[in-house]
Amino acid sequence: MVDLLPIWTSVFFTLAIYSFLYKENPWYRFAESVYAGVSVGYGVAFDLRYLRDQWGGQWSSSGTMMLLFGIAVLIGLLWYARFSKQYFFLYRWPLAIIVGTGIGMALRTVIFTQFLQQIRAQANMPLFVAGDMMQTINNILIAIMVPCVLLYFWFTGGTRESAGMQIVEKIARYTMMAGFGSAFGYTVLTRMSLLIGRSQYLLGITPNPPEARMAFYTIAAIMLITLIGYDLYKGRS
Amino acid sequence: MSLLERAQNIDRRWVYLLVWLFVLFPLLNPLGLPIPIGRDSTAWKEYIDAIPNDSVIMVSMDYGVSGMPELYPMTVASMKHLWSMTDAKNLKIVVIAFWNQGPLVFDTLLSQVDPEADYGMVYGEDWIELGWIPGGETGMAAFANDIWAQKPNDYLYSRPLDEYPIMENIRVAEDVDLVVSFETGTPGLPEWLRQWNDPYGVPFIVGCIGVSVPGMAPYLSSGQLSALMPGLTASAEYEVLLNRPGLAVAGVDAVSMSHLLVFILVVVGNIAFFATGGSRRS
Amino acid sequence: MSDTLRRIEIPIIITAICTLIQVIPYYIEIEVLDNTAATLQQWVLLIVSMATFIGVISIGMVHGKRVQRQSEGWYFSGILLIVMVVMALTGLPLESMGLGTKNPVYDFLFTNVQTPLGGTMYSILAFFIASAAYRAFRARNIEASIVLIAGIFMVMSNAPIFTSMFEGFKGIGNWIFDVPNASTMRAVTIGAALGAIALAVRTLMGIERGYLRGGGED
Repeated sequence: MVDLLPIWTSVFFTLAIYSFLYKENPWYRFAESVYAGVSVGYGVAFDLRYLRDQWGGQWSSSGTMMLLFGIAVLIGLLWYARFSKQYFFLYRWPLAIIVGTGIGMALRTVIFTQFLQQIRAQANMPLFVAGDMMQTINNILIAIMVPCVLLYFWFTGGTRESAGMQIVEKIARYTMMAGFGSAFGYTVLTRMSLLIGRSQYLLGITPNPPEARMAFYTIAAIMLITLIGYDLYKGRS
Repeated sequence: MSLLERAQNIDRRWVYLLVWLFVLFPLLNPLGLPIPIGRDSTAWKEYIDAIPNDSVIMVSMDYGVSGMPELYPMTVASMKHLWSMTDAKNLKIVVIAFWNQGPLVFDTLLSQVDPEADYGMVYGEDWIELGWIPGGETGMAAFANDIWAQKPNDYLYSRPLDEYPIMENIRVAEDVDLVVSFETGTPGLPEWLRQWNDPYGVPFIVGCIGVSVPGMAPYLSSGQLSALMPGLTASAEYEVLLNRPGLAVAGVDAVSMSHLLVFILVVVGNIAFFATGGSRRS
Repeated sequence: MSDTLRRIEIPIIITAICTLIQVIPYYIEIEVLDNTAATLQQWVLLIVSMATFIGVISIGMVHGKRVQRQSEGWYFSGILLIVMVVMALTGLPLESMGLGTKNPVYDFLFTNVQTPLGGTMYSILAFFIASAAYRAFRARNIEASIVLIAGIFMVMSNAPIFTSMFEGFKGIGNWIFDVPNASTMRAVTIGAALGAIALAVRTLMGIERGYLRGGGED
């Protein structure tokens, strides 16, 4: 019996969330509250373990490192100044360190990875590929589409009124629409895959525990009876 | 109100019920539909097959439990593929994570796959797991600079890295020959490229959820990304190529049926729309 | 003194210094700066980890008030607080006291509560996307038609039931991915890179201060 508790708990919470599809109800709100609670609480374990492991590593290797660790902890305590109106300004200091370091990390290489490399790839693309007409057409299309989309984003409002920009705008919009269609197709794949994964668990398909199927049928029946029964009762009264 | 007009205004819960039916039916009664092999899964397999001898491979579990249904099958298949080659090619595999749930997902993998019993892998000599590194992109940069400083102990046994022979010559990013990242968002490929690929020239292959796939296209075509595994269907194709059907193959019939339903819904919805003069109204 | 410490210029200067410490040694070889940058990267991770209780305290304050006032649905807030505290306490890295990620209660809550809830929360969108495909996805004009056609071909390309009937669906899907999608995303990537650089420069110059807002002092 005790062995079944984890499985029945998992199935219960899964179906409690899915009960929202019928309509918002207490099962769903209970599961939502529990999810919010565990989500906020579980990260504490990982962060504190990291701090403990770091102290056991390089940060206790010398006096200077220990001092730096202590300073980091003190600055880290300033995060909690955000809960005070009087000392809120102190919260901005660790935030500034994090934001500054993050901006620096990204800024130093974004120009290469996301700008120069992409421009290089675009420029190196041959417009004519011998023996491959399809690739030639594709490369010509890409050579036209990329600048059109870029110009569409850069030149807005009144700058689009000229005849040339009208053509650029049309090409850009049609290109982006096709791109969004591609995004839709892949979004369907992701969402359905996630549903299939949960369904495999509910049906107890290997490697998931087979006992989950009985839990699924039982709990689903109970939830449906309570939800539909309550609606019928409210309808009558 | 005509049938078509009523069809357009149908209670959405009937659509939800159809989704349930189209997903549950093929899981309960597998259809055994053929799985044509696509270029992405072929490229992924060929890339891994062509990994040179003595390479150091870093496998990054950059996803949490919410991404498991789509990424876990490809993770299992890829790890089995890598472990099966490790002895012959003298590979060294280091498992890390930049998402804090990544190690927990890998724990699930280890509860289902025994690398020692199934592939003769010796922990600490052939492969090792270092666990989660916090900080996102900043963590990636710090890790690239000094791996031992960021993870002084391993994840499974919490022992110092100098007790493990595998880590002797793996100290900085330049010691790594390939990163295999399974990811659902940020930190992900753009961060990896900025902190590992551009400064140190480490090549990447990425398995990602479908939603992230369109954004990978420019990196794939520029060569910054060497191979891409785009979602569950490609994972199923990969399992077929490896002759190791697993979770992805088990679920791909349901992928087919659910996509068929979406196709039918879009077509029927548009037929009803045009038949009731919707285009004139809009 | 207190007024001086409150000045917004202090965090702006801190931001600028931290940014420059990371950027300069990447382009100019200065050993001291190089070592400082490497140490700062690791030091910053300690500060990030120290923020772990912010979520706990914030949620505690919001839902604690609801329980105290017994507002509508206060019992759900009570459940949230109890679960949050149990999770945080049992996860503390005090293995000698039986706490930590291997603690049975923590492990149970993570494996049998958080894992299914997390997976289910995202998977429920599958129903909404099917409903939206039926009710809202219409070929009202040329642009909507392009989205619809590209979307449908992409859906067919990802489903073996279609590609096993006609391999051309995969080819069409690959073309949509390689040509219009790649073109769009390349332009977006380039534009986003320029935008990121502009935002970074504005932040360094102190023009962009959105991240420093709050506290009622603006």
